[in-house]
Amino acid sequence: MSEDLAFWLSYITNGKHLTWYASFQFTIFAAVFGGTLAVIFGLLGATLKNSRFLPLRLIGTVYSSIVRGVPDVLFFLFFPLAFEQAVEWFIAGQVCTPEMLAAQSAAWPPCKEANWFLGTPEYLVLASVSLGLVYGAFATNVIHGALRSVPKGQLEAARAYGMSASQLLWRIHIRQMWVYALPGLSNVWMLIIKATSLLSLLQIADIVLWADRLGAPNFLPTVGLVHDDWRWRYYLVLFVFYILVTLLSERVFEAIMRRAGRGILSEVRH
Amino acid sequence: MDRLLQEIALFAPAAVFNVYFAAASIPLGFVFAVALALGKASPNPLISRLSRGYIYAFRGSPLFIQFFMLYSLALSFNVAVWKPWGISWFVLHPLFIGPLVLTLNTGAYTAEIFYGALRAVPRGEVEAARAYGMSRAQQFRHVVWPNLIRLAWPAYTNEVVFLFHATAIVYFALPVIGNQRDLMITAKDLFERDYNAFLHFSVAALWFLAVSLVVFFLFGLVYRRLMRHMPAAPGMRFAPKWLR
Repeated sequence: MSEDLAFWLSYITNGKHLTWYASFQFTIFAAVFGGTLAVIFGLLGATLKNSRFLPLRLIGTVYSSIVRGVPDVLFFLFFPLAFEQAVEWFIAGQVCTPEMLAAQSAAWPPCKEANWFLGTPEYLVLASVSLGLVYGAFATNVIHGALRSVPKGQLEAARAYGMSASQLLWRIHIRQMWVYALPGLSNVWMLIIKATSLLSLLQIADIVLWADRLGAPNFLPTVGLVHDDWRWRYYLVLFVFYILVTLLSERVFEAIMRRAGRGILSEVRH
Repeated sequence: MDRLLQEIALFAPAAVFNVYFAAASIPLGFVFAVALALGKASPNPLISRLSRGYIYAFRGSPLFIQFFMLYSLALSFNVAVWKPWGISWFVLHPLFIGPLVLTLNTGAYTAEIFYGALRAVPRGEVEAARAYGMSRAQQFRHVVWPNLIRLAWPAYTNEVVFLFHATAIVYFALPVIGNQRDLMITAKDLFERDYNAFLHFSVAALWFLAVSLVVFFLFGLVYRRLMRHMPAAPGMRFAPKWLR
């Protein structure tokens, strides 16, 4: 029994498994960075949507409705690829000579020197930015709604105290907005967590990719433990992992909402 | 412009797959969701706990992982069960397992919507029905259900659109068989051929948008019909809520 235990313990702490555990950093990084960007883009989008200048208001509205109108996967794949191409196109304009352009046989990049190689860190940042862009559109709607739910009296009182427009916005409007935005933002955060499972689509060796590699059937004793297809077990672990993260986030958001709701209209708190 | 039209036509057969996945899983998911919602509201603690747990698990985890998990689970039964029975070509086919997983997923999301609506059904109406001497089945058929579906319909419309969006990841998790490529895989394959990200992905996005608008329109018609007894039906908002 104890030998069994020791065996399994050494199995789940072998090099490959440790790499799997280490790859959780990518997921966590994407979730945290993507979430932060989503709030920033959401604030930006809501400000645009509230703008008094029509073109800006249009940009805000178009951003929040178009991005939500297409699947998140599509944008998630499109943005990094498009960004990479745009950068390569820009570099090509700087470095490519006619001879180089003539020598290039592939469709892209314009010349070999303009190629921009993307490693895991670059893809991770791009993936987080596209998560931020996609869910920023959701956050835009949430924050836009929250900004409108702040009681008018509060803003009027601030104006009566002689606050300038920017003071009013930053000290009163956005401060009080959070209470109304938090339930919606908590939903957006859950979506971001779930979307981090898509990182492997951008060639990042994330938890999903490693679960697939570790669970794949192995018939060579030299490579490690001989086992048949164990993928479903590894995916089950990820399934449970995501449920636990959701559970934990719910608890944390409840605590934050309780704290943020102190001293503000009691009907907001349940 | 010509190129764009050609491209849009090129994507039409691919869109059929996405529409198929959604159309196959929505009716099944609807029935499943009603059962789950009633289960969650059931006075029996066992049924209630089970439904609650199921809904929480499938709403709390990514659809992508659910696809991988259930597909690899089906694969692991292949040698022992599906092969001897001679049905592995069917069980492991993406056109079967795709709608299956989508049904399980949308069942959970829709059940949460229906459960919320169920709790919002006016108590007085149910009490009046009981006072009239209606049986439990009659109460449900004539009072609870009509209220429930009217309350839930706008949110359900959004859920259907997001289920349609979720069909985009089916073939990232399941094997592509032969020419059966959906919008995303078509866009990706074309991109890998000529690296024109802007054209191919935009056209795929256009298809998704177009079908979503059709869904909104059709469900809006149904909503108008559901609300035909009301003086002025509140308009449906284009406000898709959350995707998974």
